[in-house]
Amino acid sequence: MGTENPGGSNFPIRPPSSPFASAPPTMAPFPSPGTLVGYEASNFRPTLPSGPPTMPPFSSAGPRPPARLNNPSVSSPPITSVPPTGGPYQRFPTPPYPSTVQTTPIHAPPERQPPFQPFANQVLAPSISLPPPSQVPPVPMGSSPQPPSGSLFSGPRPNFQLPFPGYSSQQPAVSQAPFAAQQGSFMVPPPASSPFASQQGGYVPPPPVAAPLSYQSRDQMHHPSSAPPISGIQSLAEDFSSLSLASMPGSIESGLNYRTLPRPLDGDVEPSSFTEMYPMNCNPRYLRLTTSAIPSSKSLVSRWHLPLGAVVCPLAEAPEGEEVPVINFTSTGIIRCRRCRTYVNPYVTFTDAGRKWRCNICALLNDVPGDYFAHLDATGRRIDLDQRPELLKGSVDFLAPTDYMHRPPMPPSYFFLIDVSISAVRNGMIEVVAQTIRSCLDELPGFPRTQIGFITFDSTIHFYNMKSSLTQPQMMVVTDLDDIFLPLPDDLLVNLSESRNVVETFLDSLPSMFQDNVNVESAFGPAVKAAFMVMRQLGGKLLIFQNTLPSLGVGRLKLRGDDLRVYGTDKEHILRLPEDPFYKQMAADLTKFQIGVNVYAFSDKYTDIASLGTLAKYTGGQIYYYPNFQSGIHGEKLRHELARDLTRETAWEAGMRIRCGKGVRFTSYHGNFMLRHTNLLALPAVDCDKAFAVQLSLEETVLSALTVYFQVALLYTASCGERRIRVHTAAAPVVTDLGEMYRQTDIGAIVSLFSRLAIEKTLTNKLEDARNSLQLRIVKALREYCNLYAVQHRLGARMIYPDSLKFLCLYGLALSKSVPLKGGYADVQLDERCAAGFTMMALPVKKLLKLLYPSLIRIDDYLLKSSVQSGDFENIIKRLPLVAESLDSRGLYIYDDGFRFVIWFGRMLSPDIARNLLGADFAAELSKVTLSEHDNEISMRLMTILKKLGEGDPSYYQLPYLVRQGEQPREGSLLLVNLLEDQMGGTGGYVDWITHIHRQVQQNA
Amino acid sequence: MTMIARVTDGLPLAEGLDDGRDLADAEMYKQQVKALFKNLSKGHNEASRMSIETGPYVFHYIIEGRVCYLTMCDRAYPKKLAFQYLEDLKNEFERVNGAQIETAARPYAFIKFDTFIQKTKKLYLDTRTQRNIAKLNDELYEVHQIMTRNVQEVLGVGEKLDQVSQMSSRLTSESHIYADKARDLNRQALIRKWAPVAIVLGVVFLLFWVKTKLW
Repeated sequence: MGTENPGGSNFPIRPPSSPFASAPPTMAPFPSPGTLVGYEASNFRPTLPSGPPTMPPFSSAGPRPPARLNNPSVSSPPITSVPPTGGPYQRFPTPPYPSTVQTTPIHAPPERQPPFQPFANQVLAPSISLPPPSQVPPVPMGSSPQPPSGSLFSGPRPNFQLPFPGYSSQQPAVSQAPFAAQQGSFMVPPPASSPFASQQGGYVPPPPVAAPLSYQSRDQMHHPSSAPPISGIQSLAEDFSSLSLASMPGSIESGLNYRTLPRPLDGDVEPSSFTEMYPMNCNPRYLRLTTSAIPSSKSLVSRWHLPLGAVVCPLAEAPEGEEVPVINFTSTGIIRCRRCRTYVNPYVTFTDAGRKWRCNICALLNDVPGDYFAHLDATGRRIDLDQRPELLKGSVDFLAPTDYMHRPPMPPSYFFLIDVSISAVRNGMIEVVAQTIRSCLDELPGFPRTQIGFITFDSTIHFYNMKSSLTQPQMMVVTDLDDIFLPLPDDLLVNLSESRNVVETFLDSLPSMFQDNVNVESAFGPAVKAAFMVMRQLGGKLLIFQNTLPSLGVGRLKLRGDDLRVYGTDKEHILRLPEDPFYKQMAADLTKFQIGVNVYAFSDKYTDIASLGTLAKYTGGQIYYYPNFQSGIHGEKLRHELARDLTRETAWEAGMRIRCGKGVRFTSYHGNFMLRHTNLLALPAVDCDKAFAVQLSLEETVLSALTVYFQVALLYTASCGERRIRVHTAAAPVVTDLGEMYRQTDIGAIVSLFSRLAIEKTLTNKLEDARNSLQLRIVKALREYCNLYAVQHRLGARMIYPDSLKFLCLYGLALSKSVPLKGGYADVQLDERCAAGFTMMALPVKKLLKLLYPSLIRIDDYLLKSSVQSGDFENIIKRLPLVAESLDSRGLYIYDDGFRFVIWFGRMLSPDIARNLLGADFAAELSKVTLSEHDNEISMRLMTILKKLGEGDPSYYQLPYLVRQGEQPREGSLLLVNLLEDQMGGTGGYVDWITHIHRQVQQNA
Repeated sequence: MTMIARVTDGLPLAEGLDDGRDLADAEMYKQQVKALFKNLSKGHNEASRMSIETGPYVFHYIIEGRVCYLTMCDRAYPKKLAFQYLEDLKNEFERVNGAQIETAARPYAFIKFDTFIQKTKKLYLDTRTQRNIAKLNDELYEVHQIMTRNVQEVLGVGEKLDQVSQMSSRLTSESHIYADKARDLNRQALIRKWAPVAIVLGVVFLLFWVKTKLW
């Protein structure tokens, strides 16, 4: 409430300011004076957003036509809604002010800066003046004596709070009154904003009065909410937030307080309204729509400007106790709609005494098979509903009958293609890989059917006979790269449980077999072909470990990545595409035979990830890139990630299809997969760490349905040999109101979709273009929103946006500073850029958001406090904004982007901590020190923290990097570059970005 | 290619690993096998051991304990060995999964058996190993009386039966229609026969009545 009061007081004043009405122009007069003043107005502005909606009531209550006349444009829309609410307001006694008010002339505004100045007399003027800018029109004094002042107030208030709480809590800084005022930051004048509040209190007697009023008004507002106009108003007030920016040139830099900008410091928040409305929807971890309100017409879609679509992660890991139920339908056959092939789900309705069911997607009446028949009770529910999870849950697994199989369920099979050329030997990759595979043999899924096989290669290809009757593997070398043949018809891919001994012997001896290898060539293409020939029978997962640029046989590549001249030209994007058509062709073949490829690349030099990655991209796999791999440093990361890759639950020979209601269609798919037919994603091997984005479009100009249903169906073979269909169903309402669409927006899904679109764009355009088009879309979306609520927006240099999109700008900035998109030639190595691009195409929403806006946590206090239990660790960590100012030279910080930790030691950090953490060599060059656990509490504690943070996210291993403040250039490349809100080598910071976006929004707004 | 299926409903229980995928028209043979299983589940072809020729290959199958074990081999492959192989599979399968055969609800419920199939198949693949030659010479198994038929014939029997039943059902329904029509015609004939008489009588009575009234 505290916050409200100040606001409230301001408002009441306005009505008296009626004189202004005559002093017309909302905007025009203001700005000019404003320049002088420095716009403390900002403080007030905050109220504005909510103000406008409320305004209408006013005008109606006090019938003053004149007011409208003044600036019809502004006030007119709201007016219509006024009537219902208007009545109540009038009751209020007129405030005492009027007289004072009148004294203040237009000039008032300039004077008003006062926030700084103690109120006193001046205050009067300021307060009065304020209103004018915002509310001039309504205020119309015509019937000056109108009491409404109080009422005005009340209306806005309730709404008021909603948008802000988030901010105010986050930003204690604001409380300093002067600050807020100056910078026009968030409107949320903190409750504490002393100068102000006090001022107003003095002047405005009404506060007390206002309060009661406010309640009443609130009630009224809510009740009538069903009435369209009013509800519109209310919602508007609720869901928007604004940033005020000083519009005057010159004041921009200081005009915006970086501390008060919105930041996703709480991490990703899954939309909840959606699941509340449709409790039977699948969990958002499986399917997230970019907006949970589907637009009813094409024009709405085009006005919305944000991408309409969804992010699907069909196999997301479910927490303990929420596993997807498995349903056996094989006796009756799976119940599906005859026409659209929709699977039976919680939204189908049973009619005709239970003999028929109506498909929720195409509305066709289907017969209920005899075995599935159940009577309906009085309310039309099936009496056996409780025993039918498929009618209760949004996510289920069906056991597939024979019709869904082309062949018997395949066994999980893993095939390893290992580069053993000299660089692989030198950097220790072979050893780590061999050890890791060996240690995972017991945990490979699918025992006892699991198949395994190996090929190694340098300039020749080495096959290994793993026949179970042998005591050790036999190696066969094929040197003819042009015409690859298999030296053995079988036993190259063998059953793990039978050939266990041979496999172990092989892995044990692998590192030593090649330790003297001096071969520098790499017959990558032929080796992939060979692996393909071995695996063709079964399919499975192919893991490729590659160290150098492929140099022999088909698919040989040339150095093309270090050509600076190409950047900035039209040919730039070609660098990010596969050079040789062999790769795409190979990927197509691999997918056809159900082979998924994961590429592990280790080179310190250019290896053309763009080409190698193509193999993974079109086979539903992923790229792991370890630039400059050293087993001593990166070994742990490789070990962890390879183990995860081998042991996580995997779905084999899968296909995914997404169905949706009539009138809506999925138009494009983004992620790592091969598109078969028009809407079937072929996924030879897919797991819980892969997400796919899809875009929707409307087929009909106007949607007649009230609800649109979506159904994701993934047909796959589980590692245990069962063929299953995982079905996720969700419903979303159709709306006709653009505001509602904005309100239901899911920022996480939007950002995921945006990033995939942007990355795809870099494959056909320059980086610059990709960033610009991203920015353009953000601007367009915000501009549309502004236009929607143009009334207030025009009044100040404020930027308004829906609460649901408050992070849009920040994520937009983060995205354009992310590895795949940022800078130009010099900023990121081409390989790294491509690898990050491939990775981001497949990341699930949560991980992507974390990568875009990593967390920065200060931990020295926590480490020193001995009393705290590690249990309440969660409460202690607090994410900090990513600006250099967050770093205190006396502190110890962890930067965590989900892929690595950077531990930053402040220059003034107490030596104790450093010594305890690093042991004897705490003073040494940190680049050579690796973090290990020492026998003291601080160190153990740090390790538990790292472990905890890592556990939150097992799909990648976060390798800790240590860096000391001022240690150049490591500090710069590891951490400073990633403080994305700061200005950094030619790219603007968050403040500049917001200002820039804002300016564009205003242009031809 | 080796398949194991339940006879009662044709549900496949297990299948050899990577079987027959080299064959050009493996799909076609698979279809044939499926059709065969379907036939079996309908109760045709009760013979518990049978060889069926199809193109250059032969299907051999045995039915035991409501489970059908079927394999496809070259025509040149010794029949005796093939049936030995199936016997081996049968023994092992019954030992491992015997109890659950009736309750299995999903297709390929015993897919794990494929490793055994694979292993056994390898033993039998080469006809010239000592072991196999010894088995060939062993007269323990009397395979001579096993019937050999052509696949078309076998599948055809089913088709023909289907046809017959279809025809007979059509016959019944048509005879029903015929009976209905006959009854109808009968009635019409009756009307046609007596209508004139009735009309004449009616006129006569009318005249009488008129006459009595007038006079």
